[in-house]
Amino acid sequence: MATIIGRRVAMAIPTLFGVSILIWLLLSILPGDPLAFLLPQDATPADREQLSADLGLDRPLVVRYVSWVGDVMTGDFGYSPFRRRDVSELIATAWTNTAILAGVSAVFGLTIGVAAGTLAGVYRGSLIDRAVTGLAIVGLSVPSFWIGILLLILFSAQWGLLPAGGIGSLEDGYLDYAKHLVMPVIAGSLITIAITARVTRASIVETYQLEFVDLLRAKGLREYQVLLHVSKNAMSPVLTTAGLQIGYLLGGSVLIETIFSWPGLGQLVFNAISARDLLVVQATTLVIAVTFVLLNLAVDILQIAFDPRQKAAG
Amino acid sequence: MATDAMTTDAAALARQWMDADAPASPESYLQAGRRRFLRNRVGLAALGVLGLLVVTAVAAPVLTTYDPNVGVPADRLLPIGADGHLVGTDEQGRDMLTRLFYGGRLSLIAGLTPVLIATVIGTFLGSIAGYLGGWVAAIVMRTMDMFYAFPAVLLAIAISASLGPGLVNVIISMTIIYIAPIARVAEAATRKIVTAEFIEAARLTGAGTPRIIATQVLANIFSPIFVYASGLVGLSIVIAASLSFLGLGVKPPDAEWGFMLNSLRGTIYVNPWVAALPGLFIFATSISFNMLADALRDALDVKD
Repeated sequence: MATIIGRRVAMAIPTLFGVSILIWLLLSILPGDPLAFLLPQDATPADREQLSADLGLDRPLVVRYVSWVGDVMTGDFGYSPFRRRDVSELIATAWTNTAILAGVSAVFGLTIGVAAGTLAGVYRGSLIDRAVTGLAIVGLSVPSFWIGILLLILFSAQWGLLPAGGIGSLEDGYLDYAKHLVMPVIAGSLITIAITARVTRASIVETYQLEFVDLLRAKGLREYQVLLHVSKNAMSPVLTTAGLQIGYLLGGSVLIETIFSWPGLGQLVFNAISARDLLVVQATTLVIAVTFVLLNLAVDILQIAFDPRQKAAG
Repeated sequence: MATDAMTTDAAALARQWMDADAPASPESYLQAGRRRFLRNRVGLAALGVLGLLVVTAVAAPVLTTYDPNVGVPADRLLPIGADGHLVGTDEQGRDMLTRLFYGGRLSLIAGLTPVLIATVIGTFLGSIAGYLGGWVAAIVMRTMDMFYAFPAVLLAIAISASLGPGLVNVIISMTIIYIAPIARVAEAATRKIVTAEFIEAARLTGAGTPRIIATQVLANIFSPIFVYASGLVGLSIVIAASLSFLGLGVKPPDAEWGFMLNSLRGTIYVNPWVAALPGLFIFATSISFNMLADALRDALDVKD
């Protein structure tokens, strides 16, 4: 088992390098003048060359990439002239806020998705099944930012029950903090609920058709005991999709955080895009992508650890 | 055993012989697909809704007399059902229905075009990788794997942001994120048929690789790719609107549903339900495409 996990970890390393190359290329080769914002209006060509040399932009691409990766590995993402702060500083605060929002959304979305999918799978063909399957299509198609705005209209504009945005402070009590989380979590996790419910239902239905279920019933197990065995065996695809879902929550956070003014990575990206602060866009994208790769790696390791066949293989 | 096989062969041959004389010729794969699709009421309803949305987008100038981009300041933020404005006006006094009709043009184009272009490129890459295998497949498919390391929406945002705002850049960035999954589907489908006898037969007749891919492979991997790509369209409509919502798509005053939703965001305390309308159109389009894709998958009988 250890060798399989080792191989899986080793596979993640070229992926991470690929990710870093892709992001770096995106922001280094594409059109747009990185110096335009940094130079004064009356700059001479000599000033331009001087700044270019100061920033190391006159070196060959490969050298620039290697030095960039070196900086990033030591946590140095550069300095944002727009925010007048170190990019790493901006990212650290934002990452925590996004992790909280994405974490709560993931727990909420996965729990409801698994519950709904299991119900639909157990009572296959019933009214519940059709309702869950129908709602899942709705959840897959609905734009999260529209749901966000509908929630704002109802709970904030019309009824005044929930704060329209921002992050609560724990000093105002847990209730206030929770109130700020409600709408972003619901809007963000709808798609997670939909996808998880679909995958869970399919996996449960498929597992019920396996022969061991007949054996369990023949042994005289009650239906809920059978379900226990079935759900254990149906877990693998659900776990795989869970890893991906958290990644989608991180990616979708740009929209949700923008609507609800949640000070996380998503809002950081959005503001950086508006200001064309590409260094921040680059760093944030990299941080999210690396988190995503590591999460999926963790899920794969969990899968291997839980799979009895792998244990037997030693 | 051998005699068994021979008798069933003989029976099959006899049946074929009889069938050849039957008045009705057996229906082709696509005919059967069409027959099954026409029986699916949900699929037909979705097709109807999409037809309506396309008609209102294309025929917008005929359907309404208002200018989509110029408003009347005195008529700002009228509610749904106001005189002369069936679903109200926006923050600049422009007729909402007019803008929703015109907005459908850019929203549909931005959602559909990337899927079409990516399907062509992805099928090309995937079929070549699947057919040739070896190091070609390794290079192509490992490069595609790189794109799976990103949440798709985030990658689209990053590419779009680097290219700068604009509808063309939105289309480019979305095309890039769809190529990898389509190439995977095409490669898997090609690998499945590459050892089939009809490919072997084509090779024996002396056909070269490009010819075999063009005449034999493409026709046989069409269904799974078509079904997968049609399933992408619903998502694509939402992603295109998301990018516009973030200000990466169209420039004002052009009408586009995602962008309209964002500019009306500030008016929800004054005129809430008008502000929600562009989202309703995005949702209706996206869910119709998803239901249509499900119906097509059932009709063409493609297993996931």
